[in-house]
Amino acid sequence: MAEMPYGAAINRAMAEEMGRDERVVILGEDVRAGFFGATSGLVQVYGPDRVVNTPIWESGIAGMALGMAITGLRPVAEIMFADFFYLAMEEIGNQIASWQYVTGGQTTVPLVIRTAAGAGFAIGYNHSQCNEASFLNPPGLTIVAPSDAYDACGLLKSAIRSDDPVLFYEHKGLYGVPGEVPDEEYLVPLGKARVVREGTDVTILAILAMVPRALAAAEALAAEGISAEVIDPRTILPLDEETLLGSVAKTGRLVTVEEGRKRGGVGSEIAATVVEKAFGSLKAPIVRVAPPNIPVPPGPVAENMYVPSVEAIVKAAKGLL
Amino acid sequence: MTGNRPPAAEVDKEILLELYRRMVLTRRAEQTHQDMLNRQEFYLMGHFGTGQEAIGVGMGMALDLTDYLFPTHRGVAEFIGKGMSQADIWAEYMCKPAGPARGKGGLHLSDYKSGLPGLVGSLGSDFAISVGTALSSKIRRSGQVTICSFGEGTSSQSDLGSSLNAAALWNLPLVFAMANNEWCEFGSSSEHVCTPTVAPRAEGYGIPWTIVDGQDVAKVYSVTRGVVNAVRAGAGPHFIEYKTYRGGPHFSGEPGAYMCEEDLCKWRERDPIGLCELRLLDDGIATRADLDRVNEEAQAEVQAAIDRARSLPDVTYEEMLSGVYAADYAGEVE
Repeated sequence: MAEMPYGAAINRAMAEEMGRDERVVILGEDVRAGFFGATSGLVQVYGPDRVVNTPIWESGIAGMALGMAITGLRPVAEIMFADFFYLAMEEIGNQIASWQYVTGGQTTVPLVIRTAAGAGFAIGYNHSQCNEASFLNPPGLTIVAPSDAYDACGLLKSAIRSDDPVLFYEHKGLYGVPGEVPDEEYLVPLGKARVVREGTDVTILAILAMVPRALAAAEALAAEGISAEVIDPRTILPLDEETLLGSVAKTGRLVTVEEGRKRGGVGSEIAATVVEKAFGSLKAPIVRVAPPNIPVPPGPVAENMYVPSVEAIVKAAKGLL
Repeated sequence: MTGNRPPAAEVDKEILLELYRRMVLTRRAEQTHQDMLNRQEFYLMGHFGTGQEAIGVGMGMALDLTDYLFPTHRGVAEFIGKGMSQADIWAEYMCKPAGPARGKGGLHLSDYKSGLPGLVGSLGSDFAISVGTALSSKIRRSGQVTICSFGEGTSSQSDLGSSLNAAALWNLPLVFAMANNEWCEFGSSSEHVCTPTVAPRAEGYGIPWTIVDGQDVAKVYSVTRGVVNAVRAGAGPHFIEYKTYRGGPHFSGEPGAYMCEEDLCKWRERDPIGLCELRLLDDGIATRADLDRVNEEAQAEVQAAIDRARSLPDVTYEEMLSGVYAADYAGEVE
């Protein structure tokens, strides 16, 4: 076991997979340098053919990745900020998502698009969003969102080996956060949630940078005699319903916490799923803790008010008891 | 424009005959499709390419089987040119699981064994995908060429400029092949496109361009083949514009009342099949009886494929739900 920052763990995953499979190719804007460090140093090892700096063209990064994936490569594309996904919406929502189905399986679409999401730099609406919920609706996508270094490395390796297109959300506030990572190679399976902390009174399901806040909230609740279970779905689509519903069956209460806007958010989909499949288990309404339906505001004062706080999670959980 | 025979392009007799056969097959397939619609026997609207057959057939045959061709939505010429069979086209059009895309593409035809990765319905999204297949070929050093085919209407999509930039930047084995048929959906090109030709724009990206008479199949084939050979040898991308005219409405569900009958008549004199027949007869490559036989056989091939497709089993509910993911994500689609 060694401590490694989240960003370095992501770098390690790509380095290992490139060494294992020569079909793995990286592309994106400035990936040779690596804006957040995630792809830094790979070009020196694997060469410019396999670490491709692209023009500033997000629809192209996604579309090119599709073209590469259907012709024998396994591209790992980078969209520098999750906000820029909307520039590539046609390729992701219309083409990448459906390609395997509409070609009747003549080809698979083994590609990953990595991105940096979330607030933390107080730079406002085009560089701060968590917009993973925008991709819940198109068919055929897998959405992964690790919250620590261990999961980041293990999930990215699984994503690269997946024959399905994966959107891989990284949180820019987590890149520098260290975590324990085994020295030996390991994988974390897609579609499996992690129970981060066990509890009996309330389930708190949290995503990305909200996982550490949910854990802090669980600590605060414990001090008041409330036992909170914290679940990190890790893969948002497909959701590990078994783990989620099992937890809700135990606690009877659910709080979802995310950094994406509340309306039509990940929590909305999860709440609907729980109501459909485990209504009888619920002892209280489901509460979604999420930012208001506004653009991510600029400046540290407003950004701090926008992103769900530990206090907001505690308050939501206590409201159910 | 006159009905005169175009200057003869250098092309083998056998190839010219095959170009002719595939143009006739295209015309027969699309006409039979229209006939079925007229009789209300078929669900699928058609975006026919009557009068433009030389372009798709010529560019398709100019490629090797393992090359990639991203086709336009207009007609089946590119598919037939690249080698997709009538049986596969009609099984897919009728959405039968026996089709190459298991009936899940429908009008969005694809045929991987023929180097046809797929027809996109949102026009212009294949510019970037084409750059991706070309980049992939370069990285894999496979020697494959990609043709991205589109119309002058789609040239307004912003990704064309980005694709020209990337293709030139990386010296990719990619041919931008544009049919300029003077109509964009329901309006004249002059209402959509700011210049009468688009190819010269490639010059701004340092990409060589060529404008070709799209009615002369021998010329379409030989010019495209020459470009493809150069591109395969490492010359970098090229932009070809084929001058043609849409011989009918945008799609089968409207009469094309906005089109000018006088112009249509003028262009019918330069029908690519008629021009090719003239050359085949004048050069003594074929007799009228030979050409009649090609037409009869083409019609029979189309009809047999349609009859076969009709007899195939339809998609089931389980089949409809399958194939969204490669991974076994049980229950995810319901």
